[in-house]
Amino acid sequence: MSPFSLSLPLIAVAAVFALLAPAAAAQESSPANSLVRVNATLQDYSFLRPWEKGAPTPRRGLGAVLEGNRVLITAEMCVNSTFLELEHPSSGARIAAKITGIDYEANLAVLEPADSNSRVFEGLRPLEIEDSVKSGETLNVWQVEDNGDGVSTDVEVLRVDVGRYFIPGSVFLLYQVKGSLQARVNSFTLPVVKNGKLVGMLLSYSSKEQTAGVLPSPVIKAFLADLDDGDYKGFPNLGIGFAQTLDETFREFTGIQNQEGGIFVREMAKGGSADKAGIKEGDVIFSIAGQPIDSRGNYTHPAYGKLSFSHLVRGGAKVGEKIKLDLIREKKPMTVEVELTRKMATDYLIDPYMFDRGPKYLIFGGLIFQELTLPYLESWGKEWTTRAPFKLVHANANPHPLEEEGREKLVFLSNVLKTPSTLGYEGINSVVVTNVNGTFIKNIKDLAAAFSAVPADGLHTIEFDDYPKVIYVDDRASRLINQQLIQYGISQLERLE
Amino acid sequence: MKSSRIPPFRVLPVLGLCLSFIAGNLLAQQGPRVGPVLTAPAAPAPEAAAAPAVTVVDVPPPESVQTDLSEIEFDAIVRVEVDTKQPNYRVPWNVGGMGSGNGTGFLVGPNRFVTNAHVVSDSRLIYIKKVNDPKPYQARVLFVAHDCDLAMLELESDIDFETGFKDVQPLFIGGTPKLNTTVIAVGYPIGGDRISVTRGIVSRIDFRAYSHSGVDNHLAIQIDAAINPGNSGGPVLQNNQVVGVAFQGYSGDVAQNTGYMIPVPVIERFLKDVEDGSYDHYVDMATSVLNILNPAQRRALGLPNDDIGVMVADPDAAGSAGGVLKTKDVLLSIDGHPIASDGFIEIDDERVDLNEIIERKFAGDTVDLEIWRDGAREEVTITLKRFIPYLIQAVQYDKQPNFVLFAGLQFQPLDRNMMAAHNITDLNTRYFYSFFAQDEIYRERPQVIVLTEVLPDSTNTHLQSFVHRVIDSINGKKITLLQDVHDALHGDFHEDGNEEFHVIRLEGETRPLVLKREDSLLAHERILAQYNVSSDHFIERPEILELEGLIKLEEDAAADDAGKPAEDSAEADKKESVKTPEPAKKAA
Repeated sequence: MSPFSLSLPLIAVAAVFALLAPAAAAQESSPANSLVRVNATLQDYSFLRPWEKGAPTPRRGLGAVLEGNRVLITAEMCVNSTFLELEHPSSGARIAAKITGIDYEANLAVLEPADSNSRVFEGLRPLEIEDSVKSGETLNVWQVEDNGDGVSTDVEVLRVDVGRYFIPGSVFLLYQVKGSLQARVNSFTLPVVKNGKLVGMLLSYSSKEQTAGVLPSPVIKAFLADLDDGDYKGFPNLGIGFAQTLDETFREFTGIQNQEGGIFVREMAKGGSADKAGIKEGDVIFSIAGQPIDSRGNYTHPAYGKLSFSHLVRGGAKVGEKIKLDLIREKKPMTVEVELTRKMATDYLIDPYMFDRGPKYLIFGGLIFQELTLPYLESWGKEWTTRAPFKLVHANANPHPLEEEGREKLVFLSNVLKTPSTLGYEGINSVVVTNVNGTFIKNIKDLAAAFSAVPADGLHTIEFDDYPKVIYVDDRASRLINQQLIQYGISQLERLE
Repeated sequence: MKSSRIPPFRVLPVLGLCLSFIAGNLLAQQGPRVGPVLTAPAAPAPEAAAAPAVTVVDVPPPESVQTDLSEIEFDAIVRVEVDTKQPNYRVPWNVGGMGSGNGTGFLVGPNRFVTNAHVVSDSRLIYIKKVNDPKPYQARVLFVAHDCDLAMLELESDIDFETGFKDVQPLFIGGTPKLNTTVIAVGYPIGGDRISVTRGIVSRIDFRAYSHSGVDNHLAIQIDAAINPGNSGGPVLQNNQVVGVAFQGYSGDVAQNTGYMIPVPVIERFLKDVEDGSYDHYVDMATSVLNILNPAQRRALGLPNDDIGVMVADPDAAGSAGGVLKTKDVLLSIDGHPIASDGFIEIDDERVDLNEIIERKFAGDTVDLEIWRDGAREEVTITLKRFIPYLIQAVQYDKQPNFVLFAGLQFQPLDRNMMAAHNITDLNTRYFYSFFAQDEIYRERPQVIVLTEVLPDSTNTHLQSFVHRVIDSINGKKITLLQDVHDALHGDFHEDGNEEFHVIRLEGETRPLVLKREDSLLAHERILAQYNVSSDHFIERPEILELEGLIKLEEDAAADDAGKPAEDSAEADKKESVKTPEPAKKAA
């Protein structure tokens, strides 16, 4: 071994000490003493073979150290995680971590070491949270080099806006920043600070545009406060889709030509806050919680300026709170009080997201049934709206008629394993189940119950809304196949919860 | 099997008069027709050679196949030169692009030439040239069958024919050649100007997608003789008899040495169909079936264990079997041929798809089915007809795009050409396109009308984001035909309480589109001038209205007080012979 390779680690260690010493003396937060590396191992569930999980993949980010040996990270870091680990930025001390709070909509998670007896937080100090950020200000994105050295990169706040984090249709406050960042090992999410205090978590970075989105501290604060009381409620949702009212002719038609601003309610989320409060399609909302809403759907925030009204609900109110909406319905003004609720992913006919659990499915004699979720459709790739089975894509976009039929979830035959029991059916896929043995199927549990009762002739009748309309399978043969499938290595024939 | 997969939007590149190169696997997914897509993809019957419906000619064994070309009547094999005018579905009032190309045709009788439909589609001028004759003879299309890619031409002048083809013998239509026998393709493909001969053998006889219409499947014969652009419409010969018409192939990077020809049963059927002076199209059962290969299925349906029968899954209401067959009926035999549980029947000792029976029949013919319903045998007779709703997904030719333009809002009926021209991806609109037949959308909306374009103007500047959406109603009138759009905007229709507005409501959208009546009239004239619009509407009676009994229209009285523009062009182009539609008329 050459002398160079021996001496190199020594130099590296020396450098770390040199950096740490002055920082500790100044009692100030720095990249090297307020961050921990978070090493996650993720394993996605398979939709094609719902009893399987895919190949494990690593994801590495940086978490912000909070009071009480807690680490703040984006929820995206922990999606379908099988193993989470905290690592001291310089000493490399590691410990397994557990999630103590997570909200995929707000894209935030809090991790704690699984064992409190650890050296991971040695010499580290928690970050304080600062939430006054304005456009034009300079923030610092913190990173850590391989050797534990801290790196701070300046970024400029371009504007404060409302935007998507990572779940489609879920929008929150967002800082748009500009600056030149370099990829380093733990770069998946990065803490952003101002004057040594945490102001956000970097979500995404476009190297072409040199811009990034930052999940801001007001959302972080609300998330942590909600967690603190031990009963996490999440961020509320008004549950409306709206149209702008810039069109003067349309304003006149709607009878609002003498009013200022206002948004036209185009659609309602069934069972959402607005729906429960009696808001109707066609209403024009002029103010929310006392704030006038302009024709584009914005209000004027004291610090950030024009901001989407959704921040009044998500950023300004909590689940259970009541807010007042001033609106015009059929040309008559009225005020409606709305109690804010949060519609959970599982409250939808087709779950808009699903993490940390696999798809619900049932295999019977080789027929594979599943409950439809948006992630199932998204498993067709970026172009899923054109590549996934169109009838299912359409159902996702138009769930109301299916809900009207009394369905809670959409159960469909995803594909067929060729077995003696499914002979002749192997080409059938992606059809929605309506009845089994005459019983309407509202969810996968109904399906399991229907198969568990054996009809007198020993034959199950499965009806679909589409080709081939109806198939029959033999109960005894199917159960025999089920046993064989287990022997062939299908670990689990159903996941109903 | 009927597929719920969305068909591709792109119109297949039928390059003027070139061969249409097909994108095999996409096509097989489309049609609602009973065809090979309908049954489980069992291995193709390699010898599914159907005997010709009309003439049966004994084909000699391979060793005696002719190799001497001197007996071939080359003068009967002509070059077809065509100038085309392709309609513009994006800017529908424009004349469209001009193009040209060439294919091959052959003489089949006195002043009767056969070629491919795709050779003469969208043609405006056709010349026929003989191999050793400098004179181009002007010709016209007598009949065109887009569903099986065949057309019949005649010379414009009988005198031309008398002089130019006096001693030319028409080619004789033969039979279906056997596998591994030699054939020669004769025509005018790329690579030179003179007539070309290529040789190969019959590789496969099978049901195939015909790429010209994008939705049809018929018997086709695969040969390994080189077939190139320009061969289209040319005869494929064996012993000096026509055994096929060269029509499509794969491009070299997909598959090698695979050319396809239209076999004699399809040619004979076309010739017979047009004998009465009009082409009446293929008929269709429009019924999807499931093979009965599963023992539990057989027991549940109460069938004996004899490998006979296929189960009816979904008969289309507008199809021949609508109202006759039901889900769970079992088809036991068709015209006396027992149907095997994989959907095959035997004709003349060959196993063929049960659909082959239907393929050889004509509109108005009947088919006798023995069915098993609720545990008992029954006999039903079905009168066959064309399945019109599937045309929404068929490529349209020889038509001028229908549209209505009003105050910059451009309305067009939903069809494949329009979807492709506007590259429509809107989910809701795609649903109407993909499920028009299957979900029987035509009952309520024989035409689905889409807002395809908004020509920007101060009067409509906020409406741009609503393009590609389906129109539900205008001024209180439900829109079920393009004519309704014209009537609702120009006639005496209004929503109560909204008299001073034009109110356009979209399917699946609660925010209505509104225009001020007084502004929109001025804007209309202004936009026509500014955007160089030569005509503000062109409306024809759609073929779908032939389904009279199934369509629920608002009382026709409503159309009467709305003016007459409907009658101007109401004549349906029943013959589907090429006929330039009347020039569009300007409203008001």
